[in-house]
Amino acid sequence: MEKAKISTIQLFILMILFQLSNSLLIPLAMKAGRDSWLAILIAAAVSIFLFFIYRALYLYYPSLLLTDYTEKIIGKFLGRILAFLYILFFLYCAARVLREFGVMLLSFAFPETPLFVACALMILVVIYTVFKGIEVVARTGELLFVIMIMLAFFLFLLIAISGLIDISNLKPAFEDSSKVLNTVFTETLYVPFGEIIVFTMIFPYLNQAKKMGKTGVAAISITGAALALTTILNISVLGVPLIERSLFPLLTTIQSIQVGGFLQRLDVIFILALVIGGFFKVTVYTYCAVIGTASLFNIKEPSKLAYPMGLTVLFVSMIIASNYSEHIQEGLKIFPLYVQLPFQIILPVFLLTIAFIKNRKKE
Amino acid sequence: MNRKWIIPFFMAIYLPLLSGCWSSHELKDLAIVSAYALDKNEDGTYVGTFQLINPMNVPGALQGGASGQNPSIATYTATGGNPLEVSDNASTKVSRDLYFAHTSLLVISEELAREEGLATILDAMERGLEFRTTTKIVISRDMKAGDFVQVLTAIDQVPAEKAIKSLEFTEKLYGENVATDLQKFIKAAVLKGKEPLVSGFTVEGDIEKAKTMEQLQSSEGEATIEVNGIGVFKEGKLMNWIEGDKNEGTLWVLDQIQQAPVNIDWDDKKAAISYKVVRQKTNVEAQTKDEKPVISVHIRAEGDLRVIEVPVNVTDPHVIFRIEQALQQKIKDEAEAAIHEAQKTKTDIFGFGEKLHQSDPDSWKKLEPKWQDVYFPALDVDVTVEAFIRRTGMRNNPYLFNLNKKSD
Repeated sequence: MEKAKISTIQLFILMILFQLSNSLLIPLAMKAGRDSWLAILIAAAVSIFLFFIYRALYLYYPSLLLTDYTEKIIGKFLGRILAFLYILFFLYCAARVLREFGVMLLSFAFPETPLFVACALMILVVIYTVFKGIEVVARTGELLFVIMIMLAFFLFLLIAISGLIDISNLKPAFEDSSKVLNTVFTETLYVPFGEIIVFTMIFPYLNQAKKMGKTGVAAISITGAALALTTILNISVLGVPLIERSLFPLLTTIQSIQVGGFLQRLDVIFILALVIGGFFKVTVYTYCAVIGTASLFNIKEPSKLAYPMGLTVLFVSMIIASNYSEHIQEGLKIFPLYVQLPFQIILPVFLLTIAFIKNRKKE
Repeated sequence: MNRKWIIPFFMAIYLPLLSGCWSSHELKDLAIVSAYALDKNEDGTYVGTFQLINPMNVPGALQGGASGQNPSIATYTATGGNPLEVSDNASTKVSRDLYFAHTSLLVISEELAREEGLATILDAMERGLEFRTTTKIVISRDMKAGDFVQVLTAIDQVPAEKAIKSLEFTEKLYGENVATDLQKFIKAAVLKGKEPLVSGFTVEGDIEKAKTMEQLQSSEGEATIEVNGIGVFKEGKLMNWIEGDKNEGTLWVLDQIQQAPVNIDWDDKKAAISYKVVRQKTNVEAQTKDEKPVISVHIRAEGDLRVIEVPVNVTDPHVIFRIEQALQQKIKDEAEAAIHEAQKTKTDIFGFGEKLHQSDPDSWKKLEPKWQDVYFPALDVDVTVEAFIRRTGMRNNPYLFNLNKKSD
């Protein structure tokens, strides 16, 4: 763990940017069809409970990282293995996001550039930021957050005045509630909301521990609302069948904007959101993997790990799938249930139960 | 010592990357395609005609350039098994790379639209990176799509622009057309309870001469491009054309009228009073009564009187009221005629099925499989119209009124 502090507002921004990132761009919860926005809101509400589980763990060990207190909770041997698995999990997540970022950029903006080059350029920036430490990550977040807000505002305004919104696309609402719940618990809860598990690696840096609960709940609610609003916009502009066929619905929405015959082809907004979001998520994941490894193996200067681990993320992102369809199928079918469910929900609950029993004994 | 040089070293390495020209295309290597026309060959392959902008000859691009001497467009034709192969084959004939990001018009020949439909063609456009989904689709009636894009036009130098402007203006000012783009077409085509509409174009006159500069050298021109009719699609294929009054009726129901003239007869004189709609709103509501779907269409129009060729006292609110009623009847007749026409051809172009799906998803599930063939043609549609005359132009009573008074 490095000696650094971040403020609550920085944590708030980190959480929002991290969760919005790529989920803003890909079709989210589309299994629920027209009601996907509802699935998103429910998933956000459920993830607040998850957040309180992570917070409870943090409150037991306020100065330790997730990868440190696993040792305290379930013993040195098992705890270290678990911590190591968590580090692998973070690395793999970083690689997945990096891959998605690269594919998105390539599939519509730079079709002739090799994927490796796009990802490599991104990871170089990420490595540099991780090298500089959490304070720099947080400050970068503050800067980029302002840009994201302005972009979002500009975009909503343009979509509204270009008259594309057709609310009847959202009807009939609440057609199949079992489908909505199914989507929540098989997909949407894990991506993006469950991913806040990485913040168990960042909470100890917070300078005002008391305000953490409020900050987290506010960040999750705002993210949930923003994602639901984006989905509503996409559905009302494009309609469900088109979103289901689109790899990047928000891009299609942006491409439909035509205001006054000259304000059109605003794809650059999408690219900006993509680069900011992608950069941020990869950075946070890589940082958590780096800091976790440093504390697990007692490495004095965590920043030295930034280069090797960053390059690992890059190479993993190249080999995890041979094409984008495979990548997405893994992301929707296998990854949430077999990896994210245990790492994001089952293991933390398990850890919390043991920590609870242990701490009661002490008293 | 080493550290001191590391930063400049990396900066130097990044320099070539910063320019970001991995797959750059210089403007002079691009051939900007303004319109893409597709026909069907006898042997089943596609014939594509590309209308390329010839930038040196477009006035305004270069002030005082060589405009007016040569055509502002060039066209190339190629064949192939799918739209992409067609464009690949065409690029062997053009010295530049065909660039589709500014293609604003996709022209499909009537023959192709009828026999094969658009379903198979549009995937290439939707999937491609350059082609925009805001590209407008039109159908060339009774002629080759290739011929259509070769016709030169006078005021708008790029013919594709001229076609799109005619489309948009007739839609906006006269309510006779629908400007359908790729996205809208596909959206309607995939829905079970809705069918897409596409405007048709014809060329009147001598097409061969209209392809040469002769076309631009007389004020009349050798041939003119005209918007003509709305094509109705079913299952991706062109079914029939809606023409004349039914165009307007269709647009009334679709809530697509922005401004439109409505002419009514008065005292046995044909088209004696002309009303210009400036604001319009159509609400369509779907319900099920006793397991039977019922659609109610409510049209509300506001506008001014523009022509009065009979002596009527328009200062009298009672007379205005009577004119309004005549207008309502007229609009109602047009809308009902359009609906009956659609019911006769069993194509739900108005999206009534989709409305029913939205308001009553349960009964829609039962009706969906046979919607177009059984339920839609037998549908009860209740049309109600409210038309308001807000102003009467710059005058109150027509001068005819005074003329008639003298003879009394």
